[in-house]
Amino acid sequence: MNKRTIGVFFVLLLIICPRAEAQGVKSVRINEVMITNETNFQDNYGVHSAWIELYNSSFGSVNVESCFLTNDKNNPKMYPIPKEDILTEIPPHQHLLFWADGLPNRGTFHLNFLLDPTKENWIGLYDANGITLIDEVTIPAGILAADQSYAREDDGSTNWVIKGQDNRHYVTPNANNMTKDSNSKIESFKLRDHSGILMAIMAMMIVFSCLLLLATSFKLIGKISIWINKRNQIKSKGLSNKNEVKEKDFGNTPGEIYAAIGMALHEYQDNVHDIEDTVLTINKVKRNYSPWSSKIYTLTETPRKH
Amino acid sequence: MGEFLLNNLSDFWNLTGFANASATGLIMILVGILFIYLAIRHGFEPMLLIPIGFGILIGNIPFDTNAGLEIGVYEEGSVLNILYQGVRQGWYPPLVFLGIGAMTDFSALISNPKLILVGASAQFGIFAAYMVALLLGFEPNQAAGIAIIGGADGPTAIFLSSKLSPNLLGAIAVCAYSYMAMVPLIQPPIMRILTTQKEKLIRMKPPRAVSQTEKIIFPIVGLLLTCFVVPSALPLLGMLFLGNLLKESGATRRLADTAKGPLIDSITILLGMTVGASTQASEFISWSTLGIFFLGLVAFIIATTSGVLFVKFFNIFLNKDNKINPLIGNAGVSAVPMSARISQNVGLEYDPTNYLLMHAMGPNVAGVIGSAVAAGVLLGFLS
Repeated sequence: MNKRTIGVFFVLLLIICPRAEAQGVKSVRINEVMITNETNFQDNYGVHSAWIELYNSSFGSVNVESCFLTNDKNNPKMYPIPKEDILTEIPPHQHLLFWADGLPNRGTFHLNFLLDPTKENWIGLYDANGITLIDEVTIPAGILAADQSYAREDDGSTNWVIKGQDNRHYVTPNANNMTKDSNSKIESFKLRDHSGILMAIMAMMIVFSCLLLLATSFKLIGKISIWINKRNQIKSKGLSNKNEVKEKDFGNTPGEIYAAIGMALHEYQDNVHDIEDTVLTINKVKRNYSPWSSKIYTLTETPRKH
Repeated sequence: MGEFLLNNLSDFWNLTGFANASATGLIMILVGILFIYLAIRHGFEPMLLIPIGFGILIGNIPFDTNAGLEIGVYEEGSVLNILYQGVRQGWYPPLVFLGIGAMTDFSALISNPKLILVGASAQFGIFAAYMVALLLGFEPNQAAGIAIIGGADGPTAIFLSSKLSPNLLGAIAVCAYSYMAMVPLIQPPIMRILTTQKEKLIRMKPPRAVSQTEKIIFPIVGLLLTCFVVPSALPLLGMLFLGNLLKESGATRRLADTAKGPLIDSITILLGMTVGASTQASEFISWSTLGIFFLGLVAFIIATTSGVLFVKFFNIFLNKDNKINPLIGNAGVSAVPMSARISQNVGLEYDPTNYLLMHAMGPNVAGVIGSAVAAGVLLGFLS
């Protein structure tokens, strides 16, 4: 295989795996932002401040310590999320709230910057290196009234909406942006495939195609193996006559023949063993004296008492 | 002082099993004893039924659940609960699959790859049972957890039901293992009825000898092909093929020996015991358990039937020398190696010189792969 072929193979692999991505801090998303908080969620000091909600979209816990939150594109390292606070670990599909109150001395979750309701607000989350941008959001100036939030429609989704306008679109600090009281997949199957026939057809098609793929591959691998085996045997036996080669049918020897050979060898070895002159007896076997096995020479002598 | 003694003895009495006994608990204890009896007296899968049967006894010893003794399988922090997490969270099944992989010789399958399709066809039992379960009013996720019993694969059934229908886990696990033990009773009549005398006598071409290279390639290619199509089957198939590579590589004999010996034995004991213990009468005895047992039987019957019928259908397209004996169709379920042994025994009844065991091992191990793929498909669709 030349370098070009290998290159083409890897390019194809990359094309067919577009969704391969690592789970970790890169799965964290800025999920919901409130700029003017008058009567909404309070911090632990009882103060209403602007807040930024992060969401872990992965199925593993993610620690955002040492990452950076900022509202200035020119200063990615504006607020380093402190280390050694166990609360910076976000469990799978859970949220973490930061207060944009400009009072970092109040604790890990109080940022050192404020959000300005009169201007466009850009918020970025950077990786611990301060270079890699994990997620960002721009909230256009003046689109949010007091106690309204700018949020992803569903947790981690790409569609942003304004929440807090009515009872249907409520603000959800530290909670799921969309409440799910059922499994949509199951509901969909219940609705569209109540008899289960479609599931049976689809699933059997997948099972069959998967195993058919395996069968076809091993048919091919088997053929290649037989061909290599045949070629090696012809080479080792120095045959050149095609008819003779065909007659011997190399490579297709059934396993039964090998089993028979194995059994014959086993029996032969058993027979060889049977004619050994070893005798099983209950009589005491006479052994010649040897000082090497004498106990008297191997025991430590006790010094005599005087 | 007398009052003190009486009060304490009275409290102790309230903690005893006698004070907390219930009729349903006693029924379950009798079921446990029956399992142990069947395993020892009649040899029905003793390695499974003895731990499960004894687990049923452990799980149904009555005690005061309000005393906070942390002894019950469902009480967080209890030893039994910790051991039960292997079932509940699905850790045990992949470890069992590692051992199965290290035990299994796939050469029958590699030498005759078309037998893989027989393993695929038998999975229809799962999906037919899914349809019947929906008809009986189970939710799709519950129906899937129950239907997987038709794969005749205890670890797969536990794995899937722990993900899709954890509230039915105990019943599904006990049902799956019970029917696996009863495979010798369920399958032969179906095989005899569905095949003609001529078909029963079909002699199959002996499988060719498979090189070690092919055996090494099999787990690698098998994993890549199946898991690229159904990644949700990765925990099961990944461990199955890893175990097989440990065996076939020839370079990891010690690891393979551990996987197929002490490891799988330890897990089997823990799995069986905790599955048994999870059948606490209060959780287990219900109409849905009866439904699960009924559906499990339906799934087994349909799986066996579809395997045998598929071989008959497949034979239409095969030339005279390559015909498959339909008596190996039952082995498409993944009860390894029991269903292959049944093919052998039923085959010998009609022709004492026709040995079907090695041929039946092909669909049998394909059934293991097939049921894991089917579980992955259901998990992908419904989780």
